Amino acid sequence: MDQKLVIPSKFKMASYALMVIGVVAFIYAFATHPERGWANLLINNYYFVALAIGATFFGALQYITQSGWSSGFVRIHQGIANFFPILLILMIPLLFGIHSIYHWSHHDAVAHDPILQHKEPYLNTPFFIIRFAIYFAVWIGLTQLLRKLSFKEDLEGGLRYFEKSEFYSKVYIFSLALTFSMATFDWIMSIDAHWFSTIFAIRNFAMGFQHAVVLITLVTIILNKMGYLPFLNKYHLKDFSKYIFILSIIWGYTWFSQYILIWYANIPEETIYYVPRTQGEFTPLFYTELAVNWLFPFLALMSGKVSTNKNALLIITSILLIGQYVDVYMQVTVGTLHHLNIGFIEIGGFLGFVGLFAYVLAWSLSRKPLVAKNHPLLNECMEHHP
Amino acid sequence: MTKTNIIGVYEDEDQIVEAIHQIQDKGIKIKDVFTPIPLHGVFEALKLETRLPYATFLYGVVGTSITFAFLYWTSVVSYPLKFGGKPLNSLSFIIIMFVATILIATFLTFMTFFIRQKLYPGKESTVLDPRATDDKFIIVIDKEDDMTTKDLDHIKTALKDSGASEVNEVEEEINTKE
Repeated sequence: MDQKLVIPSKFKMASYALMVIGVVAFIYAFATHPERGWANLLINNYYFVALAIGATFFGALQYITQSGWSSGFVRIHQGIANFFPILLILMIPLLFGIHSIYHWSHHDAVAHDPILQHKEPYLNTPFFIIRFAIYFAVWIGLTQLLRKLSFKEDLEGGLRYFEKSEFYSKVYIFSLALTFSMATFDWIMSIDAHWFSTIFAIRNFAMGFQHAVVLITLVTIILNKMGYLPFLNKYHLKDFSKYIFILSIIWGYTWFSQYILIWYANIPEETIYYVPRTQGEFTPLFYTELAVNWLFPFLALMSGKVSTNKNALLIITSILLIGQYVDVYMQVTVGTLHHLNIGFIEIGGFLGFVGLFAYVLAWSLSRKPLVAKNHPLLNECMEHHP
Repeated sequence: MTKTNIIGVYEDEDQIVEAIHQIQDKGIKIKDVFTPIPLHGVFEALKLETRLPYATFLYGVVGTSITFAFLYWTSVVSYPLKFGGKPLNSLSFIIIMFVATILIATFLTFMTFFIRQKLYPGKESTVLDPRATDDKFIIVIDKEDDMTTKDLDHIKTALKDSGASEVNEVEEEINTKE
């Protein structure tokens, strides 16, 4: 019960190597193509922000619904919550790259642009930085609080900490709705500052939630293969698969809602967003995004045999995590760089981030026992059946 | 025509899954289990299999194709009408295809289920023991014509040993017309 994760030395070496590749890629990027470096920093940071938001939302959702089946895996989303402090450090340099990414941050551009002038009370650099600080304060504060409550429950037991966790989960979900929506507007949607979509935040939230469950599933299976979490059975896997399956549909639904309304209304200032995406060099990625994130899990997870098979799920979840990169890449690159560049900078930068966050997660899991032994619903997870 | 069944009556829901395993281990084939509430694990313990999901998938594929064919025929072949500068074979088909697929797949799945189970509105159900709808749990075993007294004793002791509070023989009306 009190078993802690022992990080294999091979894993440590691999994550260090990936981090070195990432650092080299970013140094190379800023020395040769600074604008590609900034765009990449944003892509990778937003990729992991969305994952961390989705995972902590998943955790909060389990508390407020008092779900028993997932109570053995709370450490995993609590570990992913530790991404936030690291992301804060990694996103602060981005504040120096505002001019390279965001068109609205140039005063001379705003001066000749009535639309940007109209949006100026919200989209201006000082307010952008203030909001940035508020988002991270809320996310780090509440997720660390939930972590702490769970660790105290481990020591003392009883229902007191569970009820507190449930209450702060409600607070977290409520504040998440506001902060993540606005963060998405700030960081991603304002790249195309003339354009807006009201469903944008929900669509990106669905993306983050879907891939966060994918990540939790992947980590759970890997831990189980290493010999931890021995109670994992096919019904847990089936529940994870159901989550991924339904969230892929929700993601596809919001994706299509945004696309069809713009396609149908056919208003030039809205349609312009999709013109470079559906015509020209980005077209293959546009369809890849839809196929990998929606069609692939929809067809693959339909079968009961596949959705309870550990090896099949390992492959499916790995592919889906690449799917989210394509999604975020499309959202950022088209508006900032206008051209498709996939080379050492993009792949190396992403690998660096993967190495770093894999290490952060492993480190978090190695600090505390892997199973929250005093979770009041733990027995339901240990004896989970349909 | 009537058919005789041997039934074991159990008092507690926790006994059922364990009892099923014990009886099966003795080589006795269980015909059915009746409980007043849905019990987890009974489906797996009886090793039941269903092909219904495959039928649903097939209906879904057929539903999508038929709906698309219908929309294509109406708005491209039979009555082409340009509006809003949109292409005739248009993206807005997807919403109708989505909804109609769900309708066709669910409707046909239910019809398949009803036909395979010979269910229809107003059908009189055969209740082997009315207490199975209240607070008792029963396991049903077929009494075949060629069973010897020894076989019957074997079945009855197996039921008793697994925790049944009573073991009865119940006759069931079988409608040969069905």
